[in-house]
Amino acid sequence: MRFMVIVKATKDSEAGKMPSRELIEKMHKYNEELVKAGVRLEADGLQPSSKGARVKIEGKKRTVIDGPFTETKELVAGFWIWKCKSLQEAIEWAKHCPNPHNDGGELEIRQIFEAEDFVK
Amino acid sequence: MKFMVIVKEGKGCDGGKLPRQEFLAAMGKYNEELTKAGVFLALEGLTPASAGTRVKFADKKPIVTDGPFAESKELVGGFWLWKCQSKQEAIEWLKRAPFEETEVEIREVLEPEDFADVFARAYREEPVNA
Repeated sequence: MRFMVIVKATKDSEAGKMPSRELIEKMHKYNEELVKAGVRLEADGLQPSSKGARVKIEGKKRTVIDGPFTETKELVAGFWIWKCKSLQEAIEWAKHCPNPHNDGGELEIRQIFEAEDFVK
Repeated sequence: MKFMVIVKEGKGCDGGKLPRQEFLAAMGKYNEELTKAGVFLALEGLTPASAGTRVKFADKKPIVTDGPFAESKELVGGFWLWKCQSKQEAIEWLKRAPFEETEVEIREVLEPEDFADVFARAYREEPVNA
């Protein structure tokens, strides 16, 4: 099973505040563990939403809204794609994650649809 | 530049206005165009958030909460990764997406050189044992 592990944004990540050296080192070590265990497939971090945009689609109408977006806690700051045997395994890995932000971080674990799910 | 194009959950990608089969065919064609243009890097769809879990790091011990997440209006339903020359190019591509009624978010992905900067800054500003 593959899971998308979404790192939620915080005030710091939205402000483009860089992580501390300590956190970078902890996160590096954690990522190495994920790779060794064959869990980590992909990982990407996002620029703050101030560099992003939204496109609102209503029928043929397209409205572009430039960032930043206000609902900070709902925004994505980054993500992993993990390969795990179960949701429980993904949860266990997530619990061992160094707190991704200094000001209270949150991860959301979501199962990814596989090609065989569409065949059913 | 790499962009993450986030499609929100539950906003009814096709708005129920197009027959599902027709929407899927239009989306298939759109993905082919993205691929031909060298824009398409990846596409993933997520199972409903109600089956997901959150792990919060408020204190030392992580707090695990199972879905559904009632308070959320901005849940991720799926995403593309696109390679574009600029945000404007990504916006132009997104405007052509065969959605009927939704809001899609474009976010720039950090590149290795951005991280190099993070490392450089972190190591410059916070010496060991400081």
